[in-house]
This record gives sequence, structure tokens and C-alpha cells, in this order.
Amino acid sequence: MIKKILMILVLSSVIFAADATVEIVKKLNSLPKIAVQDASDNNVDITLRKKFFKIIVGDLRVSAHFRPLDEYLKSSYEGDVKDNFLSKKGVDLILRFKLSLEKQNLMATVKLINASSGVVDSETNYKLENKRRFPFLAHRIVVSVNDAIGAPSIKWMEQFVIFAKYTGKKESEIVVSDYTLSFQKTLVKGGLNIFPIWANDAQTAFYYSSYNGYLPTLFKVDLTNGTRDKIISSKGMLVCSDVSKDGTKLLLTMAPNDQTDIYQYDLRYKQLKRITKYPGIDVNGNFIDNDKKIIFISDRLGYPNIFSKGIDGNSGIEQMVYRGKNNNSVSTMGNYIVYSSRDKSSEFGSKVFNLYLISTNTDYIRQLTANGRNIYPRFAKGKDTIMFIKQYKNQSSLGIIRLNANKSFLFPLKVGKIQSIDW
Amino acid sequence: MKKLVLASVGVAVLLFTGCSQKNPNVDMTTKNQKIEKVNNTNGMNSNTNGMNSNNMDSNNMSSNKTPENNENTVKYLIANLESKLAPIYFDFDKYNIRADMKPVVESSATILDGDKAQKLSIKVEGNADEWGTDEYNYALGLKRAKKVKDELGVLGVSTDRMMIISYGESNPVCTEHNKVCWQKNRRVEFKLLP
Repeated sequence: MIKKILMILVLSSVIFAADATVEIVKKLNSLPKIAVQDASDNNVDITLRKKFFKIIVGDLRVSAHFRPLDEYLKSSYEGDVKDNFLSKKGVDLILRFKLSLEKQNLMATVKLINASSGVVDSETNYKLENKRRFPFLAHRIVVSVNDAIGAPSIKWMEQFVIFAKYTGKKESEIVVSDYTLSFQKTLVKGGLNIFPIWANDAQTAFYYSSYNGYLPTLFKVDLTNGTRDKIISSKGMLVCSDVSKDGTKLLLTMAPNDQTDIYQYDLRYKQLKRITKYPGIDVNGNFIDNDKKIIFISDRLGYPNIFSKGIDGNSGIEQMVYRGKNNNSVSTMGNYIVYSSRDKSSEFGSKVFNLYLISTNTDYIRQLTANGRNIYPRFAKGKDTIMFIKQYKNQSSLGIIRLNANKSFLFPLKVGKIQSIDW
Repeated sequence: MKKLVLASVGVAVLLFTGCSQKNPNVDMTTKNQKIEKVNNTNGMNSNTNGMNSNNMDSNNMSSNKTPENNENTVKYLIANLESKLAPIYFDFDKYNIRADMKPVVESSATILDGDKAQKLSIKVEGNADEWGTDEYNYALGLKRAKKVKDELGVLGVSTDRMMIISYGESNPVCTEHNKVCWQKNRRVEFKLLP
């Protein structure tokens, strides 16, 4: 039976992945029901154990490949008949974890048990050198369990998120976190430090704009050795909105002549090339088409909208979106474009900024959010997951949209207001 | 048999090298300047060379300060002049100067071009409300500042004395979430520098 469920799950994901702009609602009952059991040593703090449990259950739910039980269950690591079958709960799978501490290391042993047969299908040991990072251990376990059943990858859960949050007037901090905000570490504080963006796929360095010197300045921080290098300064404003695939070129919004335009900066030769030359607003450049073109936001029609342009300067400007009168931020992944659009002309409307997904290959437009201010969308490394900022009723949250499952999840920030994100 | 066909049952020990690679010891080599506190992901080091966010107000602007002006006199003069300079407000998502704001710009030009202000530099700061995406808001604030700078130039204020900067939505004067507040934040204001 579970074989069939998994086969349907895998096949349906492949089919649905053909066009993410088509809204898909999967039947919940086709997903395997999974229970999570805590078999940790008693000397491990119960608060940590429960947090660990909660993140694992949350990850299983966000994966959209499982139906997790929310009930916190304890068991011995070997288990007995009652522990290994859970027949009363109608469970298909059991994920049992055992945490233990060894000096500063957090160790975890994890079993995946077939609840119908009681057979252990896989068992893995993990070692985490810094126990503060336990949310990443939980994510790793769920990614492995997901892989073990052959479901589409959710490896994006292990990506580091970097974001800036406003903490006061002209005050912000840059923070690295996991996607649930369960782990947070402040990287830059003091003054106005904004628009952090990862410098490479390995997430070993990042760029950010500092508004604390005479001119807005872009810095690069290398996390492997802690060095900080100045990249470039500009009058007026300076934002790094995208990094090329090979990490050698940046798309910058800057205003060296008091005029905001998009520039490409080649890090190898320290060469700056102006890409847009419109006397209004051009911002938020994103590389597309193997870094030969950009998509960007411009008010050249009298309102913010989305356009594309070749970097070589020979090709014309193409309008990419024909819906909405205030499309103010955009992100791309392959042929897909996700953008934030203001839905009502009144600033008091119940519908405000919503996210939309379009494909350059089809005419479909898919609305991804329904209320609040949903801005700054960013694709994960795969096309199936989008992160965004949601402002709703004075609460600032990170949002996750699982496109193929048609589900979204919010992770509220306790203090501050999220300014920008990257992952 | 309802046994799952799954991957190996073996035991693997995984070290989280992806996490532990981020092991920076931030080397803040900048000298003679206060800079941001940058921590590494491990939280081991936090060099506190804290940059003063007001440095932008005081560094490198062209300085025509006469030797006889002591610091307190200049500070008093700046505070006095800034108190007479009113903000210039803008409509939602717009950067054109409204008709009702033109007298404010003209009044500002008179003050900024006056004898007392002649030796001071002018920072024209553009701001936006909390709506929309911040990158666009920074550009919007800059366009507002540029419009005001250009208009002041037309009215006789030397553009060489002026620099523009945008703070997007990062510098609100009002933090409530209502129409009156948003209007107050969509503004350009002036800072005078020695």
C-alpha cells in the first residue's frame, strides 16, 4: 500500500512540476502518515527535546510529503510492540530520534520504522559540533527521511537564510538563520546595514550595503575567515540585487549621478557597466537567460512594472507583466517569474500586496497569496519553493510557499521588521 | 509484505561540515574609522569597532568653515536653520513636487541660499512610507530628493553644495499604521553640514 502511495506521490510531483503556474491541490490522504517519537536520554534537556520534536514535525509538514502527527510521543530507542506499530493512530511510518550530548557535540540517532511491519527501514547517526545549531540537525534528519521514501528533494530546508531587520530609525541588523527562524545569529549590527545577499551557492560569503559612511557602500564579508572588503560606493543609494551564477558579476542599483539605474559590476576587472538609462526609477535587477539578460522593475510606464533587457545594450526593452498597476519586486528561476503586486488602488484595501507566479512559456498567472503585504519573493535553489516577507497586522514574518503542494507557511519574527531576505 | 523499498539500512555518521565551514574570525582591518560590529556565525568573535551612523553627516563634505567659527557656534547655527526648514511631503508612490509644497520649497531655498547658510553643505534626504518593497522605496526616496535638489537649483541654491541620499522606509518620523502617519513619512528633509 505504501509503495503505491509513494509511487503516486513521486509521479504526481513529476507531472505537477511541468508547470508550477498551474494551481495544484493534492489529496491529503495520499500522503503517508508519520509519527515522531522522542527516545532521548534523560540527561538531555526536555526543552531542547521538545523544540527538536517540534521542528521535525514542522519540517515534515512543510515538506508536503507527509502527514505528521502533532502529538509528542516518547518511547525507548528499541521500542516495544506498542511503540513500533502505533496501530491505533493509523500511522504508516515512525521517525524515532534519540538525542545525546557528548561534550559540546549534539549526537542524534534516528530510525525510520515501517509502522505496519515494525521493521526498521533505515537508521542513521548524526553528530553536530555546535548544539546551538540543532534546528539544522532537525532539518538534515527530515531531508534524509524524505530522500529515504523517494520523495522529491527538500534539500532547500538546509539552506541558510540571510536577512536584514529594522530595529529602529536608521538602525538595522543582518542576521543569518534557518528557514524557520529557530536558529538566528546576528552578523552585522550598529547603524544601517541592509540588503544582504549571498555571494555564492556555498553561502560562505555575503554582500551587504552599509549606510554608515560618507557614501552608501557595498561590502563583502567572507565567513570562512571573517574578512570584510569594500567593493564599491555610490552616491544616493546602493543595493546589490543579484549575483551571477559564477559569482563574478553583480547587479547593482545605484545612483552615481543622482539617478537610480541598474549597473553590472564585474568583480574580476572592477568594471562598472550601466545597463539601464531611464530618467525615472529602475531597480531590482535579476539575471536571466544565462546572465545575458536582466529582469528589473521600472516606473517607465508611470507605475512600477516588470521589464527585461539585454545586458549587451543592443536588444530593446520588453514588458514582462501586463497585469497590475504596482508590481514592485521580482525574482526569477529559469522560466519562472514571481513578483509582488499591489492589488487595490486604495492604500486601505483589505487586499494589498500579493505574490503572483508567471512562466515565460505560458500565459498562466497564478496568485500565491491572499492577504497582507507579501513582498520580496525569492526562489529556493529549486523551482518548487519560494520564500517571501509578509507584513500582516504589525507582524513581520518569513513566508514559505510550496508551489506543487499549494501550501504556504509563516514563521514570525519576534523582534524587528524584516527588511530584505536572501537564501 | 508491506515493507517499504527504501535506501540502505546502514549507519552513517554525518558531520555538519556545511555549517562548520562558517567559522570566520572577522578581521576588521579598517583603521581610523568606527565601523559596524560584525559577528561570525559561530558567535565566537564580535569585534566592536562600531560605526557611528552619523558619520555620513560629518565626513568629507566640502568644508568652508571659517577658522573663527568655533564648533558650538556652528552647531547652534545649524540647529537654528534646520528648525526653520520644513519637510516637503509627497503623494503615495509619487515623486513630483505637489503644488501645495512649492511654497515650502521656495521658503527652503530662501533659507538655504541666505547669508547664514551659504557656508554650509546641504544633505537632501529622501524618505518613503512603509508600503511596497524596500529597494523600490529607496529609489523612490532618492527621486524625491533629486526633485527637491533640482528645484532648489532652479531657485538659485548652488547644486555643488547639495548631496542627496535616500533612506527608504528606514527613517520614519511616525510609526503608527495609518494614513496620517504614512503621509508624514513620505517626505524630503534637510540636514546642514559644516
